[in-house]
Order: sequence, then structure tokens, then C-alpha cells
Amino acid sequence: MLKLGFLGFIVSFLVPIFVGFALGDYLNCSYKFLIAFLVVVILSIMGFSGVFSSLLHYMLPRKRACEGVAVHEDTDNNNENKKIRILEAADPTVKISSDVVCGENNCNSNSSDNHGSGSLVKKEEKEEASFMALGDANSTDIDEDLHSRQLAVYGRETMRRLFASNILVSGMQGLGAEIAKNLILAGVKSVTLHDEGVVELWDLSSNFIFSEDDVGKNRALASLQKLQELNNAVVVRALTTNLTKEQLSDFQAVVFTDISFEKAIEFNDYCHNHQPPIAFIKTEVRGLFGSVFCDFGPEFTIVDVDGEEPHTGIIASISNDNPALVSCVDDERLEFQDGDLVVFSEVHGMTELNDGKPRKIKNARAYSFTLEEDTTNYGAYVKGGIVTQVKQPKVLNFKPLREALTEPGDFLLSDFSKFDRPPLLHLAFQALDKFVSELGRFPVAGSEEDAQKLISIVTNVNESLGDGRQEDINPKLLRHFAFGAKAVLNPMAAMFGGIVGQEVVKACSGKFHPLFQFFYFDSVESLPTEPVDSIDFRPLNSRYDAQISVFGSKLQKKLEDAKVFIVGSGALGCEFLKNVALMGVSCGNEGKLTITDDDVIEKSNLSRQFLFRDWNIGQAKSTVAASAATSINPRFNIEALQNRVGPETENVFDDTFWENLSVVINALDNVNARLYVDQRCLYFQKPLLESGTLGAKCNTQMVIPHLTENYGASRDPPEKQAPMCTVHSFPHNIDHCLTWARSEFEGLLEKTPAEVNAYLSNPNEYSTAMINAGDAQARDNLERVLECLENERCETFQDCITWARLKFEDYFANRVKQLIYTFPEDAATSTGAPFWSAPKRFPRPLQFSAADLSHLHFVMAGSILRAETFGIPIPDWVKNPKKMAEAVDKVMVPEFQPKKDVKIVTDEKATSISTGSIDDSAVIAELIMKLKQCQKNLAPEFRMKPIQFEKDDDTNFHMDLIAGLANMRARNYSIPEVDKLKAKFIAGRIIPAIATSTAMATGLVCLELYKVLDGGHKVEDYRNTFANLALPLFSIAEPLPPKVIKHENLSWTVWDRWILKGNPTLRELIQWLKEKGLNAYSISCGSCLLYNSMFPRHKDRMDKKLVDLAREVAKVDLPTYRRHLDVVVACEDDEDNDVDIPQVSIYFG
Amino acid sequence: MSSPSKRREMDLMKLMMGDYKVEMINDGMQEFYVDFHGPSESPYHGGVWRIRVELPDAYPYKSPSIGFVNKIYHPNVDEMSGSVCLDVINQTWSPMFDLVNVFEVFLPQLLLYPNPSDPLNGEAAALMMRDRAAYEQRVKEYREKYAKPEDIGAAPEEKSSDEELSEDESDSSDEQVAGKADP
Repeated sequence: MLKLGFLGFIVSFLVPIFVGFALGDYLNCSYKFLIAFLVVVILSIMGFSGVFSSLLHYMLPRKRACEGVAVHEDTDNNNENKKIRILEAADPTVKISSDVVCGENNCNSNSSDNHGSGSLVKKEEKEEASFMALGDANSTDIDEDLHSRQLAVYGRETMRRLFASNILVSGMQGLGAEIAKNLILAGVKSVTLHDEGVVELWDLSSNFIFSEDDVGKNRALASLQKLQELNNAVVVRALTTNLTKEQLSDFQAVVFTDISFEKAIEFNDYCHNHQPPIAFIKTEVRGLFGSVFCDFGPEFTIVDVDGEEPHTGIIASISNDNPALVSCVDDERLEFQDGDLVVFSEVHGMTELNDGKPRKIKNARAYSFTLEEDTTNYGAYVKGGIVTQVKQPKVLNFKPLREALTEPGDFLLSDFSKFDRPPLLHLAFQALDKFVSELGRFPVAGSEEDAQKLISIVTNVNESLGDGRQEDINPKLLRHFAFGAKAVLNPMAAMFGGIVGQEVVKACSGKFHPLFQFFYFDSVESLPTEPVDSIDFRPLNSRYDAQISVFGSKLQKKLEDAKVFIVGSGALGCEFLKNVALMGVSCGNEGKLTITDDDVIEKSNLSRQFLFRDWNIGQAKSTVAASAATSINPRFNIEALQNRVGPETENVFDDTFWENLSVVINALDNVNARLYVDQRCLYFQKPLLESGTLGAKCNTQMVIPHLTENYGASRDPPEKQAPMCTVHSFPHNIDHCLTWARSEFEGLLEKTPAEVNAYLSNPNEYSTAMINAGDAQARDNLERVLECLENERCETFQDCITWARLKFEDYFANRVKQLIYTFPEDAATSTGAPFWSAPKRFPRPLQFSAADLSHLHFVMAGSILRAETFGIPIPDWVKNPKKMAEAVDKVMVPEFQPKKDVKIVTDEKATSISTGSIDDSAVIAELIMKLKQCQKNLAPEFRMKPIQFEKDDDTNFHMDLIAGLANMRARNYSIPEVDKLKAKFIAGRIIPAIATSTAMATGLVCLELYKVLDGGHKVEDYRNTFANLALPLFSIAEPLPPKVIKHENLSWTVWDRWILKGNPTLRELIQWLKEKGLNAYSISCGSCLLYNSMFPRHKDRMDKKLVDLAREVAKVDLPTYRRHLDVVVACEDDEDNDVDIPQVSIYFG
Repeated sequence: MSSPSKRREMDLMKLMMGDYKVEMINDGMQEFYVDFHGPSESPYHGGVWRIRVELPDAYPYKSPSIGFVNKIYHPNVDEMSGSVCLDVINQTWSPMFDLVNVFEVFLPQLLLYPNPSDPLNGEAAALMMRDRAAYEQRVKEYREKYAKPEDIGAAPEEKSSDEELSEDESDSSDEQVAGKADP
């Protein structure tokens, strides 16, 4: 099972100096993985700047006409004044005769006003129509800064469809609020909140919007304003009166979280038969049980069934045969499956296949497949060819609820240990509906009578099914179901809010495969291990009453007194804070929650880190999140820190801190930090709740002392990276070009200017250092510095244009000419095979043309950034293509002569080996001389300004240059080019992220948190999850136990530690191990070696105290209170087998 | 502590037991130099190259970083940086491999059978493809100039001090900064 761990953002992207140097340490999220998600339907490559000005409109924090519906009419009194306005009825003929109130109005004061039948809906339609007419671009184009992470999952087309969708969410308890939150963050056109009931104290267990002051207000109205704050681009409305089915025709999708089956069937029939059909979702969470039903109409077309990028392969050969065998290069395994459709391109020889016709494949293997086609009489395959999967749309025929209830079809399974649950829960939910309609209330928690009644209803329904009935109706489970039925628990709401939010997105866009059609889930393992007395379920008139009715007040007390550490306050962290605040975790007198994050809020966070608002941009994440969480639950005892968790902050997160914790929750975005926290939790024997997301995927992993393996025990395979030679000279896909582009960007604009400054700040010291190094690297540095200050020095903007134009020539013409001079198209290797064979692609030089806008754009971006490094002002005309073209045409470009190559040099080998191998130190001395001369012409205060790549600013030209570099290179090699957005996803390593999967992951983790804080649960009670909402797939399973290691009569796991007291010497430690039959050959402390039997000098250390060795050799700084240190010992048994022994703690105090 | 850190120690141990001269940079197990002798029956025979090895945090799941310190003329080694383009120590690395494999199999194979169709040093590749004799001559010139066994002993001293340390710090993310060189 894959673990998803990611880091996102600032990743050094050097072409490694040493193999595998730069990328791997930081990243675990596979590059391939990432790319697989970038299913971007590219509509237009050009036209960013034109759109951009209109996008600015979207970024404004103040409110706009499209939200505040009636605002258009009196602009002087509009919402900027934050006035409380009541929209009056004016036109009695509107079809929706209900209280529809817009999000921008203060609903709290509205709720008591009786404003007649809402004409404003009609007005709104008018307004929206005129708005659309005014600014079409505005309503269909995308705020890419805000939505970049989500765009990386959905692509533009899906986002546009979302922006055109109107959604109804009915039932605004915890689940409704979660669904609405996820949809508003995603950015649909409108969300209408419907609820006829009022807020009860009971709702506060699950709904993050309500406060105790809201009790008694209408739920929809009370939700309006806070939900609106999440995204001003979405129209949020409240509907507080009885809903009629005809009203549903205003929506593309309707979601009901609290509706009777009778009503649901009526509404669903209407939606199912409507033209076009209205997507209908019924969902409920009842205690630790949840259900979803989807009906997207009789014929629903899925555009993209899984959200994965189409797979491709590079062809090596194709047989003339029936069926034809296609083999691909063995660089990468093929990921085709039998039955996939593929198209061919660039095939030489067997050109019949290049007709663009989709063909079906069979016998899919790692490096080959067959085609159901007779190619016997086709041309013989010569070379080349790319095969690409064609994704086929899929049509689903949904059944309406009326039919599906009796013929539910296959249930979506989530936990294979509970394969018989879904049919039973299908009955249980129907029985609960009967119970409620008969008695007018839910079963009471702890009431055996109510439980029995529910069980008997289930029995009756079951008996009526005849052959389709369940063998065992599991009364014990149904009893739990009855007890919890009235409660909406926050973790369940979070989980189902994520699932249902995603289903709505699918319904609106056709992106991803819908849930077909029922899903049932339970988490009864979350209940306390000890039986709960029925008195313990009784409400205490507190905000936790709903939760208490499920778990009892004893567990509630444990939750409140928990000491929790949440590491990270990003997307996961925000959701976690909301969840634990509602659960009351760390909200008691003894409780305390610490959250830490060293990051500040950026705009791109706002589309899912829902505790942040645009006015928080630039502020510390943890602080803002903590204060938002405190407003969710004022009793929350929370401390926000800005420390990164790692070895350098062990003074902040010291032993006492760790020892006092009840549980640690990871909310991290990178594997290294996860591994570190894992080690700390192992050391201090603390439970660690781990989770991660990638696009629509998420996983959760429970790390419980002595019960489960630790996080680091299993790992994702490291990410694949392109070989250096490929990136340098033989790219065959756009990733290679982008990797190269980032590396060049850094070299030109960051490193060289920094190197220049290093020289200028202290020429003598710098020169001495270079002379001392005396190697090729030093020489290269000096050459760059000199070039920058001498030949390529820029003083005017025209100089910068010249520089950029010549860079173009160098990169895309001269280097390619040199390469194909060295390796002509017909070059053969020593074995006679063609040099330019797959996957290598033969490059062709570009001929610069100012008429080609992409050429011009490259020179523009290059010259602007070059000017920035030299502090040269950028003229206004730079963006005028005509003027730019004129300026570029002035540049003199010298004719290129390929370096007379090796053939000639071989004749002169006696004289010199080649320029590359002249003695470095002689060259270095000469370069330093020249630099000194050069420096005299510079103002003493002259410094360059290095530029650090920043992907998230659309106006800084960084991505323009990188996309330009990559695309021009792609053009050299006939690789398909990408637009700036896609370039940004790949080059910026943007981790696709959406609110739905994040919410679900945290819900699942919090269901586990109940178990951890209750204590006493066995490993069978815990659950790890891997889920992919796109498919949808849920794979929930028990965690693996830790590996037990045995040696002689000893056994231990990773959770154990050996302790040796009495301030031993190295010799004593070795002897102590010897007595256990273990021969220690290497002992280390941190990353420092204290002893290795191979080093003769280490023998001198034998009689030193280990603590002294640690201080002297490893430079370990032991805090004064610390009485021990930990060493790692590598041992062998007497048969020379390695034995993996626990960490050894040496006590010296 | 989990096994990966012990894998480092074991692998290093095996390397040293295989009679390789290993010089630690600091006392850490993260970076070190290994002296590598050009394989006999290759034009590299007689030369000794100092190889800088860096074990990433995720070793052995992630491949070690390998670079030639002194110059070598070879189609798959970058002349300037010493980087090696070799699939088994990059894309197709497996945690089943260890350092002994690198020095006993992968690098000797690389020097015995250069692969000019995936060149990092294009000039060397082209020369090898066109004129094998001239190529071998060039290899020997480089070897005599840059890979004399007697030069190897002295060179690394200055390298191991400040320069390596500063590199440690720059990518220190979560990694403990190792102490200074052992006195």
C-alpha cells in the first residue's frame, strides 16, 4: 500500500552534481505520480495577460456584485459599507416563494424579519444575466493563484463546469455544513443552504459554524455568513421554508442530509425524470454509521473515469503479424491494461498506424502488448513511434432510489473484514426511517426498549425480503446503531462531507467515476472498550451532548483532558483543529493542544485551508488557525508555535514536552518531517496518527506503541528521476525539458549573480578560496563570474535584450548544431546500432524569428529578469510585441561554427588534450587576473540581485522564462509543448490538493483518536485507510503489528530500548553485548561514528566513557538535566549474521 | 532505531572489509571518499580515482550519490563535475544493492564497457564511436595526468574540512549536522 507523503514547495531542482543528489532527499511524492494527476485539458496556450486583468477582479478581498445580488442597483450603498440590508420583496410573480437570503447580508438580524416572498431571486437572475453579458471571462475563468492546487487535480475544464453549477444542500447539521464548506472552497457558482429547523445545543458536537449564541436561530441562516467568508466568488444563499420538488429545477445537484425516505423518493423521482436530470444525493451520518446514495440520472456520462494522465509508451518495434506485437523501450514499464484504446504517432515505416484511429490492445505486458490488427501487409517498422492511451467516456445508468432500495445492486465495500455489513446497514437505515416516522423521534441513547424496537423493525423488513434476506441481523451492532442514531459526530461529518462533496463535483463535471450507488460505513470499533453504563449517555446540557450520547461522558472527560500535539497547520492541520475543537479534545482544565508550523499563509492555501481568510495572507499559519479554532470552541486550550519540528528545535520540544503528551497528530507535507516525528514518537512511546493526501487520494496510518509497526517501517519506493544525460542532451518528454529549464534558470539568475556578489564582497578571499580549490568547479565558477562582469555585463535594457537573444541562439540553435555535428542523424554506436534510437529524439536547431510570439516572449522574459539582476529599470514598451521585435532585430548574432571535433583533435594530441583539460590552476590564475581588471570598471558598491524562483506569482516572469526555456527545448526535440499553468505544476512541483480528500482523511483519523484516547484498544480495533475518491475506492484495514526480532532467548520490536546503567566505557558496552551473544562492530551516536572495529584508531577509544566519546567525537550537546544518551549498535551473532538490536540507552548519571 | 541506519554501518563495514580505502568526511556515515582502481584490461588500469560517496537519508531505499573527484575521460562521466550517468546507481537502484556492488561491479563495468549511446561527455562518446584507438589514447593521457596513484594520498585533506561542512549545513533540513573532523 502506498503511503503518500509530500513536500511541496521549495525544492532545489539542480541537475545533480552527484547522481541523485538534489531531488531525492526532499521528495517522496513520486514525480510520475504527480504528473499522472495533471490531467489538464489545455484550451488555450496564449492569452494569459489578457485574461489576467480581469482576474484581478476576482482577487479583490472586497465584495463584488456577483455575490451581493441586489447590490448592483445602489452602488453607493453597497456591501462595502458592511451595512445590514434586508432585501425587500418587490415582484410577487417569482416562482420561488421562500425566504432566500444572500450571504452578504447579516442573517442574524434578518431571521426575525418577515420579508415577504422573495422577489430577489428574480432580480438575481436578471443581475446574473447582465453580469454574464458584461464579463464572460470573469465568470468562466479561474483565479489560478487561489485554485492552483485544485486545478492540478481537476484541470480547467472541470473547474469551469464547477463555476457554472448551482447546488442545494439541505439539512445544515454537521454533515450539511461540511459538504457546503467543501463545495464553497471548490468554487461552484452557488450553494443554497436549506434547513427549516433551528440550531440546538446538540448540533454543536458536529457543526463548526455554530456557536452557543446561535442556539434557537434557523440553521441555514446561522450558517450563511460564515460559509460565505470561505469564498466570495460563490453565491451562498439560505432557504428556510418548506422545499417543493419544483424548486429543485434551479440546481444541477441537490444533496439531502436529513430527509425521510418518503420525501427522498418523491424528490429523487422528480430529479431523475427532469430534463436534464438533476443529480440527487441522499446522505446521512447517524452516530458511528453513515450512508450515501447517488443518482445522477438515467444516462450519466463520465468524461474521465479516474483522473489519471493517459499512459504512454515509446515504441521499439512492431511486428508484421496478426495480431501484431508492439514492443516498447525498457526504460519504463508500460501501464496499459487489456482492452485499453491507444493511438499511434511518429511511427516510421509502418505508417499505416499513424492514422489517429484508436486501437484496442491485448496481452498487456511490462514492455509489450499486441494489437487486434493484421499488420502483415503494412510497411515494415523502421523506427520511432509513440503510443498513447485514449481515455474513453463511460455512461452510467443510475436507478432511482425507489428502485434501488429494493434492488441495491453491489455496495461499495470499504473494509473487507466487514463485507456483510453493507446489506445489513441498508436495512438498518430504512428501519431507522420507519422508527422516526412512527414515533416522531430518534431512538434514545441507552434505551434498550428503543433499541429492541429498531431491531424488530429490521427483523420485519428483513423477513419481507424472502430470499434476499440477511442470515444474521447482528442485534449487537443494531443496538449501537439505535443508541447513536440521533447524534451527528464531527469525524463522521468530516469524512462524509469529503465523500459527498466529491460526488457533487463529479455530478457537475463528469470528472472521476461516481459512487454507484450505495455506500455504507461504520466505525463501531471507535466505541470504548469497556461497556458504558446507560446513565453515562445522558445529556449534560453541554455542547458535547451528541458525542456523549454515543461514547458516554467518561470518554468525553478523557478527550477534554488530552494533551495533544498537532504537527503542521496547513490543509490537514486546519481540518484537524476544527475536528478536535468540536470533539472537545484538549478543551478541559487538564487538556492542552500544541500546534506548530513555521509557514505563513499564502493565497494558494485559501482554497482548502479553510480557517484562513484573504486578510490573513502573510500571517503565521499556526497562530491564525489557533485563533479560528478557539472561536469554534472557546474552551479550547491551544498554544500555537512557529517552530519547525526537527533536531534543531529539541530545546523547544524537549523531553518533558514529549513525555507529557497523550497523542501526536501529524499534519505534515513532507516525508522527512514525518520520519522525524515518527522517531520521536517511537522514542517516547507515544501514539502517532499519521495521514496524507495527494489529489483525490488519501491515506491514514495509526502508529500505536507496541501494537503496530512505526511509520518508517515501510516506505514508498523512491521517486524516479530522469538520468542526467537525458536531461542534459537527450530529453524525450516535457518533464525533462522543465527539469533542464529550472536548472538553467537557477544557474543564470540565482547562482551566478550570487557568485558575482560573493566575489565582489571580498575579491581576495574569494580568489584565494578558488585557487585553493584548484579544480574544475572553481574554474567554472570564475568563468561565470567573469562572463557576467565582462562580456555579458548589462548596462542598458538593450544589453539585456541582446543577452536574452544570444541565450536563445546558444540554447536552441548553437548547442543543438554542435550536438548534431558531434552525433549526426546517421551516427552509429560501436555495435553499429543507430545512435539516435528510441527513446532518444533527434533535435533540430531553431531559427529565431521575431514574428514567432513564443520566441519573442522568451526574449522578453529573459531580458526583464536579466535587467532585474543588474538593477536596470524595465521600460514600459517591453510588453509591446512590435517594439520588442524591433529591439530584438537590432541584436547582432554571430554565425555559429561547430567546435572542430575530436577527429581533428586526435591528430594534435601531442600538443594538447583539448581546452577542457588544460591545467585548471593555470586557468584559474588567469581568470583571477582578468577579474581584477574587470572590477576596476565597476562602481565599488555594485552588486547584482540574485533571483529566487517563485512559482506562485503570475506577474514576476519566472514561470514565463521557465516555460519558454522548456518549450523552446521541447520544440528542438519535437516534444509537445505545454502551457504556463501546466509548466508551473511540473516545474513548481505543485502537489495537487483538494479540500474533499483532506477533510475525509482527518475525519478518519479522528475516528481513531477516540480509540487512542480511550486507551485499551487492541490492534484489531484500529484501522488504516487508503482511499481514492476519484474511483471511488476505500481500502480500510487493520494496521500491521511491529516486526518481532528474536535472538537466543531474547525478543524485541522497534518499540523496545535497551538500557545500560553505570556510565559504561566503550569496552564495557561491547562486553555487555558480548554476554548476550552479540558482537558489536559499529557504534554510532546520531550520524556520528563512535566506534568501528575496522578503524585501528578507534581502538584507542576503548576505555573512554561513552558519554565522553559522544561529547568529544559526536559533539553531542547533552542538556544538563539529561542523564542518558542513546547509541545505535550494529551487531552480529556468533554465526556472523547481522542482528538488528534495539537502540541502547547509556545512563551516566 | 530502525534498520536503515544500520544498513549504512553494515555496508560501510563490508566495503572496508573488502580492502577498499575509505576515508570518512567527518566521523559521520553520510559522506566519505573511496579510492577506486581502474580495472585491469581497460585503458583505465593503473589509475586511481577518488570517489565521493554520499548516502542519502533514505539509503538504502534511495541510491548513493557517486562522483569522481579527480578527472576521468569517459563517455558517461561528466568531465567537469565528475557526475556519473549509470542506471544501476540511479533509476534502477534497488535496496538489495550495496556499496560493495557499486565498487566491485557497477563502476568496473562502467569503466570496462562505456555506453556511448547515453553520453554525459558527448565528445568522449563521439570519439569512442569513431576512433576507438584515439579514444583509448585520450583515456590514458587523462589517467596519467589526473589519476596517478601517488597523488591520491595528499589531495583530499583540504577538501574534508570546511567545504564539506558548509555543504552539510546547506541541505541540513532534518539531518543532524555532523561534528568536525575527528582529531
